[in-house]
Amino acid sequence: MRQQVGQQGNVFVNVIIVGCGRVGSGLARELDAAGHKVTIIDERVSAFSRLGEGYRGDMVVGTGIDESVLRRAGIEKADCFAAVTNGDNRNIMAAQVAKVFFKVPRVITRIYDPIREQTYREFGMETICSTSIVGSMISTYFTTGDNPAHAQPPPEPVPLEAG
Amino acid sequence: MDDAQDLPQRPYIVIIGGGKVGFYLARHLIERDYEVTLVEKDPVRAEWIEHQMGSVSVMVGDGDEMAFLATTGIERAGVVIGCTGDDEDNLVACQLAKGKFQVPRTIARVNNPVNVNVFTALGIDVPVSATELLMELIESEIAGGDVVRGVAVNASGANLVDVALPDVSWLVGRRVSEAELPAGDLMVCIVRAGEPLVPRPEEVIKARDQLIIYSRRLDTDAVRESILR
Repeated sequence: MRQQVGQQGNVFVNVIIVGCGRVGSGLARELDAAGHKVTIIDERVSAFSRLGEGYRGDMVVGTGIDESVLRRAGIEKADCFAAVTNGDNRNIMAAQVAKVFFKVPRVITRIYDPIREQTYREFGMETICSTSIVGSMISTYFTTGDNPAHAQPPPEPVPLEAG
Repeated sequence: MDDAQDLPQRPYIVIIGGGKVGFYLARHLIERDYEVTLVEKDPVRAEWIEHQMGSVSVMVGDGDEMAFLATTGIERAGVVIGCTGDDEDNLVACQLAKGKFQVPRTIARVNNPVNVNVFTALGIDVPVSATELLMELIESEIAGGDVVRGVAVNASGANLVDVALPDVSWLVGRRVSEAELPAGDLMVCIVRAGEPLVPRPEEVIKARDQLIIYSRRLDTDAVRESILR
């Protein structure tokens, strides 16, 4: 069984995240705090320290491109899958295994290289490219004066006290 | 070379990854007059390879960068081989070759044997796992069988089955024309004392010959049994 409905009618989903870096750990904490069932995978045990003490989800040590590691993480019951390691190709492979092999309904891949991202979109993968998103946001700020990442401008700078 | 007679011409081959496997493979292919480009991302390694081989075209770059791949002439390649030590890099290089450059045949080295099925499902024509091939060899040695292995020929499910004849067999002493194999099986080569022979109808099969059988049957053990019975 995949997604479950909670008491207030909220939908809770089973999520697998591959890569416990800044994006992966932040996403895991956010989804865990919202009540979802999160499992995060990373090759290095030390990476899990980024999750902090409040995190109640599961952690699996291993590589996200290994079928047996994914099974251990419960991929057969997963509703959502995010591949956010530092390796574009690793993310691409992990996501394809999740989508094609395990038929996870929602799979997304983070790809740094904008050209590769475009290519894999054409191949039918759901992708997100932080490089091109950040680039176009900065460009928007330069041309309009509005920073799309923040609704409010930053506060007045606080003068630094000398000494 | 006899082995490429059925191809209209020698395909141009691009090999991604100039480690030990890629390097020796490139050298082997060049010795057989193939046109080969070897892609290696480490410039120091690439220079070393160039120094070793002289004639080979080594290009320094990433096998998964589209713009770079385009400079290798990949769109006219008949075969692309992903040969790095990382499965994900071999997968992506082959998928780009097929999906963006219409390369008809992609071969990927598979480092983790469990990925053979995954690669097939993700569109790689021929995933090759050295670990798996060695395991099969070792297991057949341990089993004491005369059989070496069955190699999948293509996606159609046909196999090449390699059977070493014992001293006594119903086939020994018969001509190839008299060797009636089950429907769908075809003897494509006889290897005698290490030398390959074309199985002409009048050729007499001898003890200790090694027969290579092309078979559409999935059950390679059954193919062997029909030879060894």
